[in-house]
Parts: sequence; structure tokens; C-alpha cells
Amino acid sequence: MLLTRLLSLAAAAATITAGASIAQAADPVAKGGTLIYLEQQAHTNLYPPAGGFYPNGGVLNQITDKLTYQNPKTLEIEPWIAESWTVNGDATEYVFKIRPGVTFSDGTPLDAAAVARNFDTYGLGNKELKYPISEVITNYKASEVIDPLTVKFTFTKPSVGFLQGTSVIGSGLVSLKTLSLPFDALGDATKIIGSGPFVVSSETLGRELLLAARKDYAWGPAKLAHQGRANLDSIKYVVTPEDSVRIGALLAGQAQVIRQVQAYDEKQVQSKNFVIYAPPTRGVNNSVVFRPDNPLVADLRVRQALLHATNAKEIVATLFSANYPLAKSIIASTAQGYVDLSAKLTYDPALAARLLDEAGWTVGPKGLRQKDGKELVLTAYESPPQPQNKETLQLVAQQWAKVGVKLNVLAGDAGSRVADSLDPVKTPVAPAMVGRADPDVIRSQYYPTTRNVLLQKGGVSTRVQGFVDDKLNAFLEAIAAETDAAKRLALVAEVQSYVIDQAYTIPIFEEPQAFAASPRLKDFAFEAVGRPSFYAAWLAPK
Amino acid sequence: MIRYLAGRVGQALAVLFATFTAAFLLLQVLPGDAVMIKFMSPEMGLSPQQIAEIRASYAADLPIWEQYLRTVANFLSGNFGYSIQAGVPVSQQLAINLPPTLQLAALAFVAAVILTIALAALSNMVGMAWLRSALQALPSLFISVPVFWLGIMLIQVFSFQLGLVSVISPGPVERLILPVTTLAIPISAPLAQILMRNIDEVLAQPFVAVARAKGASRHWVLWKHVARNAVLPTLTIAGVLFGELLAGAVVTEAVFGLNGLGGLTYQAVGNHDTAVLQAIVVISALAFVTINLIVDLLYPVLDPRLGSKLGTAT
Repeated sequence: MLLTRLLSLAAAAATITAGASIAQAADPVAKGGTLIYLEQQAHTNLYPPAGGFYPNGGVLNQITDKLTYQNPKTLEIEPWIAESWTVNGDATEYVFKIRPGVTFSDGTPLDAAAVARNFDTYGLGNKELKYPISEVITNYKASEVIDPLTVKFTFTKPSVGFLQGTSVIGSGLVSLKTLSLPFDALGDATKIIGSGPFVVSSETLGRELLLAARKDYAWGPAKLAHQGRANLDSIKYVVTPEDSVRIGALLAGQAQVIRQVQAYDEKQVQSKNFVIYAPPTRGVNNSVVFRPDNPLVADLRVRQALLHATNAKEIVATLFSANYPLAKSIIASTAQGYVDLSAKLTYDPALAARLLDEAGWTVGPKGLRQKDGKELVLTAYESPPQPQNKETLQLVAQQWAKVGVKLNVLAGDAGSRVADSLDPVKTPVAPAMVGRADPDVIRSQYYPTTRNVLLQKGGVSTRVQGFVDDKLNAFLEAIAAETDAAKRLALVAEVQSYVIDQAYTIPIFEEPQAFAASPRLKDFAFEAVGRPSFYAAWLAPK
Repeated sequence: MIRYLAGRVGQALAVLFATFTAAFLLLQVLPGDAVMIKFMSPEMGLSPQQIAEIRASYAADLPIWEQYLRTVANFLSGNFGYSIQAGVPVSQQLAINLPPTLQLAALAFVAAVILTIALAALSNMVGMAWLRSALQALPSLFISVPVFWLGIMLIQVFSFQLGLVSVISPGPVERLILPVTTLAIPISAPLAQILMRNIDEVLAQPFVAVARAKGASRHWVLWKHVARNAVLPTLTIAGVLFGELLAGAVVTEAVFGLNGLGGLTYQAVGNHDTAVLQAIVVISALAFVTINLIVDLLYPVLDPRLGSKLGTAT
């Protein structure tokens, strides 16, 4: 039992910043009880590939199991529903051996056929039922059920990220009954039937969700210290949008854990001996990106100037806390293949001014830089899900103003934001981040047919005139296809330098997902990109 | 009377239809739509071809007039469509969110009326001048208190500090106490202001002096003669205040984390969830029209002079 505690503590140690002490390891595990979890926003559609949205991930991670488990500490892929697997030399064929005896909560077996059907859906989508394709699966061709517990997946091109892709929230396995429903019906959590340690027992849409522990659960990740059913009896999710109400309710003992705590509230929580958890999201850092299709930022010197005019250290010191480490590359220092590029990310307003002069932008009468009668005025929309994003952008705007560049920060309604964000003329600058613990995340972020943050031609946007960076795309394709792990990480290093050298991105901080919890909550853990896991969690008696 | 009623119902239906059409057009004019917000946001990572297919599957690629006719037909057959953002049928969302809002709004309205009458009565019955002016100043204070601030203060004091009521998993009655108070206070303010001013005006009328001269007590005059005359304009405002109730419910529901039409509206507006908004607009218009119809029909009950005019019309 002591070993159990120590192991899971070790897994969480990197993320806990206060409160937890090893002395608690001697406490006996208290079983049972209901945990009250306050969520900032209601979940939306719970189709697993749409699990990236934090509130969705927080629910899906308790009710679905994944084929593989990514150890949040080592980032190694470990067995879960798949007992073992083999991959062919060029990563176009994967064979998984399924653990026997696993069932979905509706009683149907989680066997090779079910796994095959899940990945066929996630990899190819389903037009009839309106299911979109999963972001993490690329080049998917087909599945083949070899025997009831063996399934083979084939790909049209090498798909190195697939193994890690089977471990993410977006690849949660669900019953065939769920996959036969139309996409539009999957916003109802009671329809999401997984094989996880908890089952949705009731829901008041948009307000409350009750999860009950599955008593016969016996297939947690094999290497995890905790085994068998979950310690808690149930978890009650209550949507509580107002920040002060979430924190007040936690401190008053009306809830035991809350999601989304702003940096400025951390002290208030810690001063009462409550615990802040800030697990890293390990992906592309919280950054400001440029859309070089816009002539104002097409010139490399302008982008470099703005990179050196940005004082990320001041932003972190002013708005955030120690849980928000200063970015030193385009990806987090906890991400795979990270290279420290802080030497290239210096704050140097003199250099910025010189670069702008060289690019022909001279300071005009109002202190604003001008060229050919045009002023250097840029626009960005805030991104509400990112922590204090409006304040971050406003501080960036103040810093840029010092070198004569104006940045307008707009709030806007969702419609204008999405429409304008697809138009490089309207949004030459944009905030961006994405979490995933695999180098493939860089491709997700920059490749034209995926998130396409730089707005290259070939993506969803029809407003892009012609900006394409073939060299960048070649790097990204190579990362997706390179089967040799060492070579792959070398490519990841190269692409980080390349993106910074091109000044496409100004990294600001490494984004965590911030939670606060009662000191009574023990063994609260997180998957690799910061989604909560209550499988081993338990509540100490008052 | 029946012709009057039929005329009023006809008017109400015309208003409903106009509201429906205006809402539909305005929602079309807004930049972007729900399909775009949900599926073109970069997280989905979809190709332009996939998006075009999704658009077609939601019939969002049809010309506007055809979409309009489809929506009208669907509404008439009771089909409100799907919420693209939440991934559930709109009718299911309404079934969950409409009753709590109606309950909250109705209780808050009743509480506001009680508060209004209490304020008006007290301020006219207390003798001390300073207390009287203090009571008369209260509505101005109530009107200037922001609902969200009031809500948060009530929660902080009564739930978190004193621990009298729970906000997170409250009982069925417990859950209503603070939200109803929060919503009732700002609603009572304009009602009380108007009622108090009308009472003052009526008190200045010659017939009051006559009644008093005949030996009626101050209280008797207040209840028998003044109140009845002063309540009419208040009733008109009460009908109009329904809109405020709904607006107040948006904030109250967000602060207290209650499910209801307010929270639903807030989310639907944020995401341009057209189907949801269209249904909410129609329901709100229906409620508005109904309440004003009831108010109109109540007038003759309170003032027989209006009734005789109606009587000649039938």
C-alpha cells in the first residue's frame, strides 16, 4: 500500500506545487464517498476526438479507457486495453493484442472488433452520422480483425504518431451503441458508453453530471500502482462559471476540487492550506503567431523586430505565477524533443527598432511606424480559453507600442472571431497554443490541413492569397513519417529553430491547466497533458 | 368582448411571426454561423471539403429563403432542430432549461411585488420623516446595484461566511432563496418608484381631501381609494419588466450556476447557435405577448371606466 502511494505521488510530484507532503503517504486509503468537482464551463459534444476542450477531457478521461497509456512522468507508451503491440519498420502497420475480459458499461465486450470500429470511425470519420476525423490520426487506411483479441491497422503513409495517438483523450474507446448515434446526439453524456472506471449515471444538461464508480472495473493501466475499481463511489460535476463562487465554495468546503484557477487567485487558495495543481499541457507553448500572408508581417525583419520587442519575462512576472514557466522554445520544456532556444528569444528593443528601420518602417509624427503612407497597425482577437489571454495581448501591445507598432486587441463575438481569424488581412497576429505529448503536436499546430495557425494556403481558409512555406511543411511531414526515434527528435529540434529563425511565433509561457483542491483530496492525478484522472483519487476523512 | 379578445390574440400572433422573421434575418446577417464556429475552428482540423459536407448535412448551404421556409415549417411542426454546439436537440435543452427559469422568474416577480407593496405601504404609514425618506430612497439604491455584484455578495455572506445556505448542492428550496432575492431586488426598484410616486399624486387629488374631511382614517383612504388608483400604471410597467426578468436571469443563473434559459441564451449567443436562439426568441416573444395581453385584460377589472368602454365595443 505504501508503495502504491509513493508511486502515484511520484507521478504527481512534478505537478504539485504546495501542500502535499510525503508524510501523507502513511495515511490509509479511505474508500467511498462523493467528490464534488466544480467546472468552469459545461461540456460540449463528447465525441471522443472532440475531447480536446478542457471540460470535455475532464469528463471523458474518467469514463473511457484508451488502447495505450502514456506515462505522464516518462511519456513512455505503456499497456492499457492493449496488452502488447507491434509496429512494422515504416510505421504503416500496427498490430494490437487486446486484454481479455474488458467490457463496456452496457455489457458489450471491448474486443478487437470494437477497437477496429472505434478507430475506423476516428480515422475515417462517418459522413452519414456526421462524425469528423480525429486530429491525432493521420494517413489512416483500414482495420482488420485478425482474431477476437487481435486487431491490425494499416496506413497509406508512415504514421509514427499513431501509437501515442492511441493514448490520448481523443482516442477514448466507446461502445458500438454510442458509435451508432448521430454526432448531434453525443452532447448528452449519458449516451457516451465507455469502459472506464466511472460511468455517467445522470446528467442535468449544462449544469450537473453524476459519475458512479464501476464496481467490476479491473483493467486500469497495467503499470499503474492503483488497480481494481476506483476508490471514490461517485463524482459530481457542477458547472459553476463564476470564478469567485468556485473558489469560495472550495474554501467553504462545499466542493473538493475546482478547475481553472487564475494565477492571481493562487495565493488566496494556498494561504488556507488548499492545494494548487498546475499540470503542464506539454505541447506548443502559449504564443503569439503571425500570418505572413498579410503584407504587414510578410517581411522577416518586421516579425523578428516584434519578437525582440516582446518581453515575455515581464508578461509572466506581471500576470502569472511560478506555475506558468517562461517559454524557451515553441514547445514546452516538458515536451518531447524540446531544445532551449532562449538565446534566440531575447528582449532587445534597440535591435527591434533597428530591424524596423532597416525594413523601411520609420517613426511617424504620432510615434507610429509608417512606410509608403501605411501605418504599422496590427490586430489580434483574444482567445477566451487561454488563461488571461486578453491581459497578455494587451501587455504585448504596450510593449510593441514602445517600438512604434500598434496592436489592437479585440474581444468580438465567436462568429466574428472565427471568421476574422481565418483571414490574414484582418488578423495578422493571433494567440495560439495546443497540448499533446508527442512531437506530432508541432505538425498539428502548423500544417496547412490541420490547425494551420500561420494560415498557409491549402487549409480551410479561402482568404489566403499565396503564403506557403514548403520548407516548414517538409519538416512537419518528415516528423510525421520518421520512424527512427532519434532522427525524429533531431527533426523536432530543427523545426523549433526554423520557426523561431523565421520569427513565425513569439513563445510566451508554458501553459498549465490549473486546479485547486481541498487538502482532503489525495492521489489526484493527471494524464500526460493535464486532464484530471480520479481513478486512484480518494477523500481523507474530515 | 370576444371580438376584442380575438383582435388582441390576432395582434399577438402577428407580433410573434414578425419577431420570428426578424430574428431569423438578424441571425443570418451576423458574421459567421454555428457550423463555422464549431467546425471551422482550427481544433477540429477539418478540410474544406469535409466542412462543405457538414454544411450540406445541416442544410446550411441552401439559399436563405429556402432555409427560412424550412425553419418555419419545422417550427410549426414543433421541431426546433439541433444545437450544433451542445450536440443535443433544442427541444431537449428547452425541456431542461425552461421550467427552472419560469420558476425563478415567477418567484422573483412575486417577491418583487411583495417587496414593492411593503416599501410603498411602510413609507406611507411611518410617521418619522427621516425613516420615510430613507425608505423612499431605497428603490434608487436597488436600481443602481448591479445584479452580478449583488449575487456574489449574497453568496459570499450567506453561503461562504455564515454557511446558512449551500450553493453547490443545495436542496430544492434552498437553491432558490439567494437567486430569487438577487433577481427580485432590482425588479422591485422601478415598481416601487412608480407606485410611490403614484400614491403621492393620488394623495394630492381633491377627492382624498374630501374623504378625509368626511372622517375616513388615513389608512382607510390609502387602501380603499389611493391604492386602487395608483396600481394601474404600475401594472403596465410590470408587464414591461418581464424583459428585465429574463435579462436578470441570464446574470443570476451564471452567478449561481443554475441551469435555465438565461444560461442557455448566453451560451447560444456566444456560439451563434442559431437554432437555439431562434427558439428562445420565439418563446420570449410568446411570454412577452401573453403577459401584456393579461395586463390589458386586467385593466377593466381594476378600473371600471375602462371596462365600460370595452363593454360598448362588444
